[in-house]
Amino acid sequence: MTHSHETTFEEFFTSGLDESISPFLTPRSRTWARNLPLRAALLSGLFLLFAYLTSFHSTDLSNLFLLGVFFLSGTPAILHTIEDLKEFEINIDILMTLAAFLSVLIGSQLEGGLLLVLFNFSHAMEDAVSKKAMGALHSLHKLAPTKATVVDESGHIYEKSVKEISVGDHILIRAGEVVPLDGTVAKGNSLVNLVHLTGESVPVSKGPNDVVQAGAMNLDGTLTVSVEKTSAESTLSRIITLIKQAQETKPRLQRFLDRFSKTYATSIITLSFAFALILPWIFHIPYIGLEGSVYRALTFLIAASPCALIIATPTAYLSSISACARSGVLMKGGVTLDALAQCSTIAFDKTGTLTTGDLTCSTLKKASGETTLTEKEALAIAAGLEQHVTHPIGIAICNKAKNENVNSIEAQSFTNVPGFGLEGEVSINGTLHKAFIGNGAFIQKQKQLSLPLSSATSTYLLIDDSVFVFEFSDTLRPRMKEIIQELSSTLSIKTVMLTGDHAESAKNVATLTGIDSFHADLRPEQKLELVEKMNEEGHLAMIGDGINDAPALARATVGISLGQIGSATAIDASDIVLLKDTMTTLPWLVRKAKKTSRIIKQNLTLALGVICLATTPALLGLIPLWLAVILHEGGTVVVGLNSLRLLKKHKVS
Amino acid sequence: MSHDHFDGKSAHDHLIEARSKGAKAMHEHHGTEVTGSVSSALDTAKELTFVLTALYLLLDLFNFHSPQIRMFIYLFSFGYLFWKGGRSALLGWMRLERVHRLIEEEQHEIKSNRDQEKEELTELYQAKGFTGKLLDQVIDVLMADDNRLLEVMLQEELGLTLESYEHPLKQSFGALIGFLSAFVLLTLGEVFAGFYGIFLSGIIVMCATGYLNAKLQNNDTTRSIVWNVATFLLSLGIGYFFSKIVLVWFLA
Repeated sequence: MTHSHETTFEEFFTSGLDESISPFLTPRSRTWARNLPLRAALLSGLFLLFAYLTSFHSTDLSNLFLLGVFFLSGTPAILHTIEDLKEFEINIDILMTLAAFLSVLIGSQLEGGLLLVLFNFSHAMEDAVSKKAMGALHSLHKLAPTKATVVDESGHIYEKSVKEISVGDHILIRAGEVVPLDGTVAKGNSLVNLVHLTGESVPVSKGPNDVVQAGAMNLDGTLTVSVEKTSAESTLSRIITLIKQAQETKPRLQRFLDRFSKTYATSIITLSFAFALILPWIFHIPYIGLEGSVYRALTFLIAASPCALIIATPTAYLSSISACARSGVLMKGGVTLDALAQCSTIAFDKTGTLTTGDLTCSTLKKASGETTLTEKEALAIAAGLEQHVTHPIGIAICNKAKNENVNSIEAQSFTNVPGFGLEGEVSINGTLHKAFIGNGAFIQKQKQLSLPLSSATSTYLLIDDSVFVFEFSDTLRPRMKEIIQELSSTLSIKTVMLTGDHAESAKNVATLTGIDSFHADLRPEQKLELVEKMNEEGHLAMIGDGINDAPALARATVGISLGQIGSATAIDASDIVLLKDTMTTLPWLVRKAKKTSRIIKQNLTLALGVICLATTPALLGLIPLWLAVILHEGGTVVVGLNSLRLLKKHKVS
Repeated sequence: MSHDHFDGKSAHDHLIEARSKGAKAMHEHHGTEVTGSVSSALDTAKELTFVLTALYLLLDLFNFHSPQIRMFIYLFSFGYLFWKGGRSALLGWMRLERVHRLIEEEQHEIKSNRDQEKEELTELYQAKGFTGKLLDQVIDVLMADDNRLLEVMLQEELGLTLESYEHPLKQSFGALIGFLSAFVLLTLGEVFAGFYGIFLSGIIVMCATGYLNAKLQNNDTTRSIVWNVATFLLSLGIGYFFSKIVLVWFLA
């Protein structure tokens, strides 16, 4: 894959200086860095196998292979341990590293190697699945234009970096370009939509003195915009800052194992030291030697860090992640499942999430005039005009005509008036009639009429003296009502809708879906504030698809985005991506998260049981180390099999 | 007037410093061509530590007695000192000869192929975004002074940084200091605790050089120390176990 330098640098920084895209490496040698921790873990696993097989013939050869295991898996473990200790954190990883390296002192280096390989492998897997989280802001930076076309006072046109454009400068935005900075239209008319920002694909007409936001897509005409905010203050920059802040303040997902691990590791390390010191006083044994207290304390330490405990969580998470992936759900690490299991509320964005983002022409009625034309004929004329354009209103009108088996009447002398509407001539009964379709201002420009008051998403058809009004509504996703009901009644999860759209439309969707409550007219920062507030009251999962949802997705306990229609920024800022966009997997996913949590707890109980069975006799010198190890391996197999129960995937109903 | 960004220096000095930093970052500090006396000292200390510890381990494995091992190590170290110091100076002189030749070649180009040099210069400044009249003016100014033109071509075309190399003898002196520091520490360890002493001193040297190397390059010191020590132990271990296998399987 080749990159331009610009792309490589941006990706490189947002990936956290990932070697596999380092601009200093030749493109071919970058492949050496891909999944390096995982490859190292696999290689050390292979070395461990050789070490085990050769241990029956030559201890030296076995130790030679073990050197590779300790180097490849032990060095990262030591680094993790030092990092944890620097933060005064004692956890199971430290206990495991300590046990693995101390095992060399009592000649159990194979067991130590096994602990290290399992540890390294689980970390490498976690790294591999959570790597995507680093690129959260990349797509947003990509969307934000870095340069703009400036028009100076003498009319000279030249390109300039957006960072150097001041308030009051005039910039030119051609059709198909993204608005680089917030400003007011000084000249020109055009339709713009905010599909990149909010997922809202309905175009809005912009003319002189109208405000346009950075990140909006200019659809048809050319606009000259007077800049009102510098690049540092623009809408896009504000969203980037909000995402950064949200990611920084996101509470570290506290999994059950974290809490358990801290207490357990501290207890075992303290007990080992205590046994080494106290045992000679109680049992009258020496400190040093095979019967000594130090040896027994080390045996206890190693026996208390069995493989079953280490694989208890990763195998359960990996089984679940695998089942989710096969059901079209991707997630950034198993810890996300743990967090989802704790969520008591799910917040939905409206446009693109509860609804498909498409419009449906819900009403067509005659508003004024005394024409003999029927509504079906009006629809045929409107479809004849709108079939020339591709914006959502046009598509909705053409779809309505198609659904009602109405043939469109071909328009002649067709003209598109950017930002306003369409005009053309249609032949009815052999006579040519002038027809106009567009927003209220456009129709009133043709004829002074009093147009009926209607919602923001309506359009008018003027033919002769008669006006027809087309009203549009959001299209609900299939089975949305059943999904919301299942979440509320079966899984006892509170549902809430957060939308930037107006209250009337939000209320309509809330009624149709049966959602518990809604908040409308929200700006990205208001959405973020609400999410923060709800997060304080209890864990919250947020589902959205637009860039404006990204800060809230990043801040929520669990952010869920829709893979097919979601903006790249929303996907990057979220923890879970629903690839199929059907939403029917949502209740299944919540159930899977809860089941994963349950199985992890079972695994930990089982592993701890094995420890108690093995460590106490080992400490008392009743059983040798090899027997303790066999007990552990038995526990490991049971724990592994228990985790495999999570592999069941979602059945499509 | 200096700006904050230049840290009190002129823009010219700032550029020299920035390019020198870039050039240093591009050099590989793996021992084939170490730049600067400090890097040379660290590299020599590391190499000596590995070589002496490995030698001690192998000689011990082949049942040499402590006084014999000690004698062997002293004699070997004496020769090794001259090898490291001499090699460091030699590599420094080779590099100096190479850059001097490049300056000569570039000066010859400027004198005999002015048109081509002008073309190259135009290309360079076009890539920097200069166009039209401004580009012509910049090229004329640069072409007016041969000394300045040579400097610009060396830096812009060849990516060389002037006034950034140390004299080969100073670099060699750095190697000598590195050698002596590591030698004293390793010998002290050996005198007090035999192999365990030299091994422990070896780890101390590896930690110290790893730390200083990372500090010099503004890298993560913990990572550098841990990987340095791990590589040292791996290399020692491989040498030891291979020798043991050869000893048991083929020489027993």
